Amino acid sequence: MQISTPKQLKELQQKFQDKDNKLVKKIIVCHGPGCLASGAEKIFEEFQQVLSKKKIKGVTLEALKKTGCHGLCEKAPLVAIEPAGILYTRVKPRLVEDIIEKTVKNDEVIPELLYQDPETKKRVEKYRDIKFYSHQTRIALRNLGHINTADIEDFIRVGGYQAMAKAITKMTPERIIDEVTKSGLRGRGGGGFSTGRKWATCRKVKDDTHYVICNGDEGDPGAFMDRAIMEGDPHSVLEGMIIAAFAVGARSGYIYVREEYPLAVVNLQIAIEQAREYGLLGESIFGTDFSFDIQINRGAGAFVCGESSALMKSVAGEVGEPRAKYIRSVVKGLYDKPTVLNNVETFANVPVIIDRGAKWFTGIGAPKNSGTKAFSLVGKVRNTGLIEVPMGTSLREIIYDIGGGLIDGRPFKAVQTGGPSGGCLPDSLLDSPVDFDSLTKAGSMMGSGGMIVMDDRTCMVDVAKYFLSFLVSESCGKCNPCREGLYQLYKLAVKVSEGRAEEDDLEKMEKLSDMIIIGSLCGLGKSGPNPFLSTVRYFREEYLAHIKEKKCPAGVCRELIRFEINDKCDGCTACILACAYNAITGKKKEPHVINQDLCTHCGACVTVCTRNAIDVI
Amino acid sequence: MRSRLIVNPNLCTGCRTCELACSFTHSVAGKPGLSRIYPLDGGFKDLFVPVVCLQCEDPACARSCLVDAITRNPETGAMELDDKKCVRCQACVSACPFGCSLFDRVNNLVVKCDLCGGDPACAHFCPTKALEYKPIVPKALKSAG
Amino acid sequence: MVNITINGKLVQAYEDEMLLTAIRRENIDIPALCHHEAVEPYGACRLCMVEITKDEWDGWKNHVTSCLYPVEEGLIVNTHTPTVIELRKTILDLFLAGSPRSTVIRKLAAEYGVTKTSYEEVPDGTDCILCGLCTRVCDKMGFSAISAVNRGHGKEIAPPLNEPPPDCVGCLSCAYICPTRYIKFTDDGKTRKIWGRKFKLLHCEKTGQPTITEEFARYLVKNRQIPEDYFKINDLSHRKELALKMGEITQWGREE
Ligand SMILES: Cc1cc2nc3c(=O)[nH]c(=O)nc-3n(C[C@H](O)[C@H](O)[C@H](O)COP(=O)(O)O)c2cc1C
Ligand code: FES
Repeated sequence: MQISTPKQLKELQQKFQDKDNKLVKKIIVCHGPGCLASGAEKIFEEFQQVLSKKKIKGVTLEALKKTGCHGLCEKAPLVAIEPAGILYTRVKPRLVEDIIEKTVKNDEVIPELLYQDPETKKRVEKYRDIKFYSHQTRIALRNLGHINTADIEDFIRVGGYQAMAKAITKMTPERIIDEVTKSGLRGRGGGGFSTGRKWATCRKVKDDTHYVICNGDEGDPGAFMDRAIMEGDPHSVLEGMIIAAFAVGARSGYIYVREEYPLAVVNLQIAIEQAREYGLLGESIFGTDFSFDIQINRGAGAFVCGESSALMKSVAGEVGEPRAKYIRSVVKGLYDKPTVLNNVETFANVPVIIDRGAKWFTGIGAPKNSGTKAFSLVGKVRNTGLIEVPMGTSLREIIYDIGGGLIDGRPFKAVQTGGPSGGCLPDSLLDSPVDFDSLTKAGSMMGSGGMIVMDDRTCMVDVAKYFLSFLVSESCGKCNPCREGLYQLYKLAVKVSEGRAEEDDLEKMEKLSDMIIIGSLCGLGKSGPNPFLSTVRYFREEYLAHIKEKKCPAGVCRELIRFEINDKCDGCTACILACAYNAITGKKKEPHVINQDLCTHCGACVTVCTRNAIDVI
Repeated sequence: MRSRLIVNPNLCTGCRTCELACSFTHSVAGKPGLSRIYPLDGGFKDLFVPVVCLQCEDPACARSCLVDAITRNPETGAMELDDKKCVRCQACVSACPFGCSLFDRVNNLVVKCDLCGGDPACAHFCPTKALEYKPIVPKALKSAG
Repeated sequence: MVNITINGKLVQAYEDEMLLTAIRRENIDIPALCHHEAVEPYGACRLCMVEITKDEWDGWKNHVTSCLYPVEEGLIVNTHTPTVIELRKTILDLFLAGSPRSTVIRKLAAEYGVTKTSYEEVPDGTDCILCGLCTRVCDKMGFSAISAVNRGHGKEIAPPLNEPPPDCVGCLSCAYICPTRYIKFTDDGKTRKIWGRKFKLLHCEKTGQPTITEEFARYLVKNRQIPEDYFKINDLSHRKELALKMGEITQWGREE
């Protein structure tokens, strides 16, 4: 099936819509990363089996959909029944028959499976009424949870490739770039550079070859927005890339996918093949002289390979080391040719902008930060998951309304944004808006969209230590300030956490951080000290407690804490069993004691104590 | 017309002034360097041959240099060795069929004749004109002149 | 030619050359440990960093590695501002923590007033500062016998699989180019040992003097079309041979 005119595409869309309209009900089985990990495939198979056994009028196997991430990963696996919009959480295969019998067949809701509001304890029937969903605006994630993954028919049905048709047949490259520039779209990979300006510069470089690359490396620990898009809606990425290619005059494109994302590779590959089959990739697209094709590159499994120059070296088959930025990659990028590199989410935004116009897009979000941003909300919040909010939404709204507040109602301590080289923001900044400029001003950054919420039991020195150690091992090791500087910064953080540091060590760390920022070659080093700088900026007392009082207020740093048994102990002996160092003694039914000389502060006793009888001091 | 270093063994007395001149011109840190020219025994009585780089058309030294440190100076025509690029692998020393790339052990340098940038000291100081640096004039022009 | 200002002095630089070249031509001493003309600039040691600005930049300044920043008309360069000096000091301090025994590093650090590292010495630190010169020159020469392995703080230079590298020809360029003389080799006039490999040296058939390794000569014969018999004798014997040949020719002229 080759589509050669926009009219044909419209007709095809109509055809698929008609087919879809015949479905009275749709059963959405989320196949996002979280749900897959909790057994979504089994549930899907179960639905297939039960559905083919029971003949329900108007509900065929076609009604069953495997979609990308629905969002509320905390409650995975998720099943939604559309069009009613009923969301079932923590579904198990044995419940499938019930769901079909009651909800699909008889429109009867199963209350136990519904989402329960943590505050009101009320069950919410329609997922759109759940605050987690109602506070979101989905653009990049628009199709996730709605259409089949890697299914071009479903994608075309919801209007896919229409923007591309419009761009190629009705717009000039200049018009497209102008529209994208006016939309104010900024790179979602972290830097926040104007996408339109990037394209314009690339187009202006006179050369016979231009490239378009999609950055799907997503190396931030805990982040999975790009993964969700590539797995769940790969065609959106392709459509964005095709529009970009047409705009800058590229004939080939690459998608660089992180090594750990095999399903993304599979689904992108399927999508590419489908697009070729439909004539949307290949020679003379829509009968014009524009030709474009896309290839997938598997990442090298290194965080630093997400950095633009390292990524291009890796695509070219060289070692993924960043190079100096004095020659910009838009001018001399892959194979020294002008290259546009954009993030997955950036590309996924492009078709919508072309379709609905720059004006519409700038109406969403904040000044100079138009549109939305996807985040993976993780950590100590009740509703972890994949979210997308207008730029400028406050941290409080994200954490408390969408995230449902902290687990067990514990006090909020900090939120970490921007990936490993981002920063931690305290409660005093909860009301500041989330956008590129505000986050940077606050000493953190947007990054690609990881958001980790921390409660009062988190030690900020420990957090800084964790991220620094990540960066020390993930630095490419090329330049001295990043390789040796971050290593020493990490060592100093360890010194603080072990209570060996002195007050002037903090100053030393700050000075070293400044030098690492000036001296490093690429963004990794230049933002590497952020985990330290932001925590010391907002949580200086906590550092000082470690240094002066030799105490870890959060009770995390092993060298600075002590375990003691309180009077709640009823002598159950569980802790004695658990202690591998024979540090706990005591008779049955008599209070136990910890021998501080033998205790290694491993915390095993705390894990097994059911009486809350062990205090961390 | 480009000048060349012309060697006339018939006039060479083996006095080694050229060697000295070369050493001093190519001094390293104030001390005389390794000479790039040697009047050697020609195999017959009183016959000395000043051996010096011939600045070949397709020189083995440059071909063997894997870091492209030996290139032709377009003005003088000399094959010059850029010491800043040289990595001392001594491929050229071994590859030159005339033995005119040399390794200076004292200073850890690979050296060869560079025609002193257009005014070769050896020719300048040669008392007998066994070494001359002069334009090669085509025969046709010569007779006309 | 482009006009730039270095430390207040207006100088001319060649188009396309790097700042470091222009700075060094002015006899200004700035350290550079990962730079060598034989290979492309790399920007790893960061010691050559300088401050740059332009009149039209409204006071905005940037710090760049001069070894790979191409000169630009109107550039104002300062090679020894307090920040730049502080930066070099920090870098040398960090290098010293990693290579406390290296005389080259110690000397350079001392020039910047660092005689003892203020950081924790790296356990099992070596004199290798990962400047990448050895691997780059090996690549440039076409052997690619050694490369950097691992990343982050565990990065090191090694032959593949840490075994004697099959592609090495024993040319010693890596050892020569190593700024801290970390790459060790032995040469007793018969055999040469480097990277765990042994190489037989060729010897001049006339003088018996050693020249280059058999493998290196073979490589040059094969890839650079140098006739094999050129390697039979050494340079001195070549010169003597030339003198005798020319002597013979001259003698004919005399006899006539
Ligand atoms: C150390 C480092 C890691 C990065 N990792 C990623 C990544 O995983 N994904 C990504 O899209 N961009 C990453 N970036 C940003 C890219 O260099 C680049 O700016 C981005 O892909 C450009 O696309 P955009 O303009 O659409 O954001 C990283 C940058 C640095 C310095
Ligand atoms: S010489 Fe410029 S960074 Fe090392």
